[in-house]
Amino acid sequence: MTTARTGARRARETEGALKTVSILGAGQLGRAVAEILAAGGSEVRMWSRRSTSRRAVGKRFPQLVLADSVAAACEAADLVIFAVPASALREVARAYGETATGDQIVLHATHGVGEGFVLPHQVLREETCVRKIGALGGPLQAREIAAGRPLAAVLASRFDETWQVVQALVAGLRVRIYPSRDVVGVEVAGAISNVTALAVGMADQLELGDTARGVLLTRGLVEAGRLGQALGADPSTFAGLAGVGDLIPRRITTTQRAHAVGGALAQGQALDEILAATKGEVEGVATAAEAVRLAERLGLELPLIQAVDMVLHGEADARQALEDVLQLDLDLSRGLVPAGR
Amino acid sequence: MRREDQERILTEVQSRVVAQRVEQAAAGGPPLEEVLAESVYHERRRLRDEKDSKTKRVDTEFWDDVQRRLGRAGEREQQSLLRKIVLHYGREVVGNFDERVYRATTRALPPALGVLLNAVSPKRLVTQLPGGLPRLDDALVIQGEVEHLRRLHELGTVILTPTHGSNLDSIVAGYAIYRMGLPPFIYGAGLNLFTNPVLGFFMHNLGAYTVDRRKSDPVYKDVLKDYATLTLEYGYDNLFFPGGTRSRSGAIERKLKLGLLGGGLSAYVDNLRRGSPNPKVFIVPATLSMQLVLEAETLADDFLREVGKSRYIITDDEFSKPLKVWEFMARLFSLDSKIYVTVSRGLDPFGNPVDDDGESLDPHGRRIDTSRYVLVDGQPAHHAQRDAEYTRELGERIGETFLKDNVIQSTHVTARAVFSLLRRHNPQVGLVRLIRVGGGHEDLELREVHRETARLLHELRGLAARGGIRLAPLVQAGEPEEVVSDGLRHFAIFHRTAAATRRGDRIFPTDRTLLFYYQNRLEGYRLDRGLGTTPVLTADHRALGVAA
Repeated sequence: MTTARTGARRARETEGALKTVSILGAGQLGRAVAEILAAGGSEVRMWSRRSTSRRAVGKRFPQLVLADSVAAACEAADLVIFAVPASALREVARAYGETATGDQIVLHATHGVGEGFVLPHQVLREETCVRKIGALGGPLQAREIAAGRPLAAVLASRFDETWQVVQALVAGLRVRIYPSRDVVGVEVAGAISNVTALAVGMADQLELGDTARGVLLTRGLVEAGRLGQALGADPSTFAGLAGVGDLIPRRITTTQRAHAVGGALAQGQALDEILAATKGEVEGVATAAEAVRLAERLGLELPLIQAVDMVLHGEADARQALEDVLQLDLDLSRGLVPAGR
Repeated sequence: MRREDQERILTEVQSRVVAQRVEQAAAGGPPLEEVLAESVYHERRRLRDEKDSKTKRVDTEFWDDVQRRLGRAGEREQQSLLRKIVLHYGREVVGNFDERVYRATTRALPPALGVLLNAVSPKRLVTQLPGGLPRLDDALVIQGEVEHLRRLHELGTVILTPTHGSNLDSIVAGYAIYRMGLPPFIYGAGLNLFTNPVLGFFMHNLGAYTVDRRKSDPVYKDVLKDYATLTLEYGYDNLFFPGGTRSRSGAIERKLKLGLLGGGLSAYVDNLRRGSPNPKVFIVPATLSMQLVLEAETLADDFLREVGKSRYIITDDEFSKPLKVWEFMARLFSLDSKIYVTVSRGLDPFGNPVDDDGESLDPHGRRIDTSRYVLVDGQPAHHAQRDAEYTRELGERIGETFLKDNVIQSTHVTARAVFSLLRRHNPQVGLVRLIRVGGGHEDLELREVHRETARLLHELRGLAARGGIRLAPLVQAGEPEEVVSDGLRHFAIFHRTAAATRRGDRIFPTDRTLLFYYQNRLEGYRLDRGLGTTPVLTADHRALGVAA
């Protein structure tokens, strides 16, 4: 009997869609994506900075090709997927840039920003010759993927080929990719979602209630939209899967971490202690600081993001900061709702 | 261009346009009959509004014949008609370039541009010669990456893309190319530049082909695009102004016409497919900077009068008056004014910088195999959406380069200082009203203008030190008083009304439209940040493509 997977593989073989895919990063998301693609019949190579991670992945997924360098992972690959945190993106991109070629397609799922609020696609452009870059956004639920549940994500790229290749790779699988042209919007939405998660974590720890949670989630979305628009994003992106659609599930690995960190901050713990005890990157911390600096340069009002940043740096009490934010008018006319609507 | 190449190119243009249209029809696009009917429609409508002339009669007869034949035409006859139309357009487009005439013309140029300008008005030459031919040779300063441009010319095919503020740019750029020791570049010049038959003859023979912007037939646009692309494929260097038309606002163009730019990429892909030995195409931006712009009054007025609906084609401006052109050049040179042609570093069709070996470089200076950008299933191939995106990015890089290599002169600084003070002294008055009608506070203290100029110079010099702009020597090193004095001197020599005038210890903004126009040369550098004023040109102005 032909299974759905076999049928899908045959369909892709017929279309010539079988590709060599490299995944850089063996965290939860990287492993989940590797599993999906391998099931689809692609040749998947994986690289991770940590040899322990590589060994663990090798045991779990014997069909993966494990590479001990970025260059080895990416050589002659058709598609390269960055599944690394923002703090590692530039270094890994620079290494990839040594062997990158202009026909390769690059995706990233980085929900953070670099110094100076440099967005992930800008980092990739600054470090490599690659042009066909796609930003994955939306509820990238690593645990749900691992459990075989349906996956939906936004793929933002200025090149149609990027979507076409990814659509072909996941054809027949329980994965739905929604195309977008708004790379900036998807990246800003993803980055700020981690800041919002910090705020929600604080609010939950302080037992401010469901209403406060709703207001903070909404305000986070509005401020993400405001920042995004200032950088040229399409406001409607924030009302879509990359914005609202990401906030509703609120269970991405990174945002669970952010939620927990927010809770610890609200309990009065110092940030450096919290981070020392937290496994993995908490991208919302750096993103909040960069967003505040950018907002000052652009003359934007981002009260929630500013409040989170102040709490992170011990400059404000979590309860007081959130109460102050909750008192503010929720001006939806700038940020989430497109002008004129 | 060699005559045999010209014929081959015309034949290939015919094949390409017909093949493209047949392919589009087969893919569900407009059928050939519709394409032809549209051509007839567009041209008959254009001709209806034309004054009677021999050209009009010939064209009318041509289109009458096409229309007659179209009525009974089957598929084969339709293709034949399309070929005929393409050839009809093609013959008008191509110049009758003659290498011997080019050599003769450019040998005559060193004593003066006057030989060319004399051609503009032979009758007036004797009676109204202002005591000496303008010496373009002395006034022209060619700087920047000249040697790099020469290298790229040897390594591949070059598209030179200068900024565009005046119809004199065609002549200046053409002469600069000659001065750099390069063979003539092919370039499309508006038909209005050929209305004087003698000038038109020279324009053709300096490499220009005609572009009739009155023609709206899509087939004509196909012909232009394919012709330009094929000249590149045949290895002919091209020049075109990516702004498409002269800047109406006086600002450096940021919104570029991507259609012709895309021809460079198209030619590169075709070269790869053919296995050409020198497939590379290089795009070299250049900025042209003059203290004054001949047509400033007309252009600025057009910008303000119909923002968003400015006339794309202006034919009745200062350039159309030969004596005006002569007077402009003579007076400009009488002040030892310089015309700066600044050649920038070359780019590939994807916007990557190229080195002196013509190799494309990534952001870390690593060489890139650019053929990989255009592979489809392992072979070089066109891909409309992909290529449009590459060209869009190339356009952005050119725009950034224009800003960086823009040369600021004393008129720009003086205009900016005066105009900024006007805005600051009249904060409640909207921009257009301030320009058209003025504010309550009009004249300015000379000292205040000097102080504002000093502040501007400080900022500009800092920006220049960081490589963000170029400054003429006086702006780079002069005292504010000298810069203002030089700016005012220039304002006084040509336009009907000077942009600003000094009387005693006061400065009067005597033509605010011109002030606005000249100060716009400093738009795009965020110099307003410290002033609390908003940039003069809004995003809407730029988005309207009014050469901002």
